[in-house]
Order: sequence, then structure tokens, then C-alpha cells
Amino acid sequence: MAYSDKVIEHYNHPRNVGSLPKEDPNVGTGLVGAPECGDVMKLQMKINPDTRVIEEAKFKTFGCGSAIASSSLATEWVKGKTVEEALAIKNTDIVRELSLPPVKIHCSVLAEDAIKAAIGDWKKKRGDEAEAK
Amino acid sequence: MLALRNRLQKGLEAKLDEIYINGTMEHHLPNNLNMSFAFVEGESLLMGINDIAVSSGSACTSATLEPSYVLKALGVGEDLAHTSIRFGLGRFNTEEEVDYVVNRMYEVVSRLRELSPLYEMAKEGIDVSKMQWNVTSAEH
Repeated sequence: MAYSDKVIEHYNHPRNVGSLPKEDPNVGTGLVGAPECGDVMKLQMKINPDTRVIEEAKFKTFGCGSAIASSSLATEWVKGKTVEEALAIKNTDIVRELSLPPVKIHCSVLAEDAIKAAIGDWKKKRGDEAEAK
Repeated sequence: MLALRNRLQKGLEAKLDEIYINGTMEHHLPNNLNMSFAFVEGESLLMGINDIAVSSGSACTSATLEPSYVLKALGVGEDLAHTSIRFGLGRFNTEEEVDYVVNRMYEVVSRLRELSPLYEMAKEGIDVSKMQWNVTSAEH
């Protein structure tokens, strides 16, 4: 398995590992994947309700080096972006950045799903209020 | 050989919890040890011990995401299937090498458990094997 330097770097020094309080109304939690598939990602974001800017992001991942790197990178990328900008992140951007081989593309797809799941959770918590904005 | 294998097994069990031996110890090759390290995925474990030659029990490197059918036949649960490592001992291995492996495994498993959402859930009292997982359709 040929891991790119960036994947190895994220594996050895993952960014933003940890958790945010789930009950916090400004925190969105995305949990995607399954142990039987060998990949589970939990991505959380703290979003400013007024500016819709993602101020904090944390992740935890059960998965191979590429999965860990994809989710670590995802937290790096979403921080400082608005919800709309984060939703525009595509798995192909992650594949390119980390030079993921074809057999690991699903890791980047999961990371994109985790971002969307976390934002979806945040929107759901806020109810219609967020949609109206 | 058996003594070395036992040393490896006892060493790991002394330092780590939630680790399981795959296969029965009765009919077991003396140079082989296949263990599951709960909450940590096998391939990520291998990356952390890149100075030690072992193999992962999962079939991540093939096009399918399915775990090893041998482990499945041995009764290893789906939630543990991707966490298995196979240690093969040879006649030139030494006690020092076994002790080194035990310590490295302890370091890497501990570090990866800190990164693991499954470990976090287990510590909160959630039974990970009983959960309903939200697997996205994009994966299949």
C-alpha cells in the first residue's frame, strides 16, 4: 500500500482530534460508516449561529490511514468556512490533496458524507430557523 | 517457539484490555497468534508499527471492503473483524524482540484508541456491536 507523504503526516500528527459537547445547540455531529466496513468517522462542528461560520471542528475515526487522513483534513478545511462553503467540499478535492489511490477513494467519500451529516445535524437542531435564513 | 508465543500473548494481555485471541488455543500452530484489538482498525495499526512485520486480518487491500472469511468462519464478530492482527513467529525471533513488539503494540493501540469514536462510545457504555449504523448508499 503506497501512502502519500500527506496521508502519513496526518496519520502521525492528526489535526483536531477530540469531541465537542453534543448537547450544545451550536454543535452539529455527523457519525457515518460502520465497523463491519472498517470505517467509522465522527465529525463535529461548532457553528456560529449568526455568521454561520464553522468556528471549531473535531474528529474521531476508526479506519485505515487514508480514512484518518481524510477526516483530519476535513476538519482542517471546514474551520473558518461558512456552512455553505463547507457543503461545497467534494470528495474529489480530498482525493487530490491526499493522492488517494482508487481503492481508498471511499475514505474521501465518507469524509464528505461526515461533513454533510454534521451540518445536517446542526440544521436539524435549529429547526426551521436555519432554513429561513 | 511456544514460549515466545505465550510471552507475546501474556505481554499484550497484561498491557491492553479488550483484546481477543482468534481461534481456539487448543488446536493452534505454536508460531502463530491472531488477535483482535477492539476499537482499532487493523490497517491503521500496521501503519503505526511499520518497523515490525505482521499482517492485518482484514482484506482492505482488495477491491472489496469485506473482512477475512477465515476470521468470520472462526466466529470473529463483524465489529472485531477489521481489528485483527496476525503475528507470525520464526525460529530466529528473540525474547527482546517479543518484548519490543508488546511495548510498541501498547503504544500504537493506545494512541489509536484515543482517535477512535468506537472506543469513546464503549467508554460511555454504548454497546458498539448492537448499534444501527448509518451506512451511506454511496459506499455500495
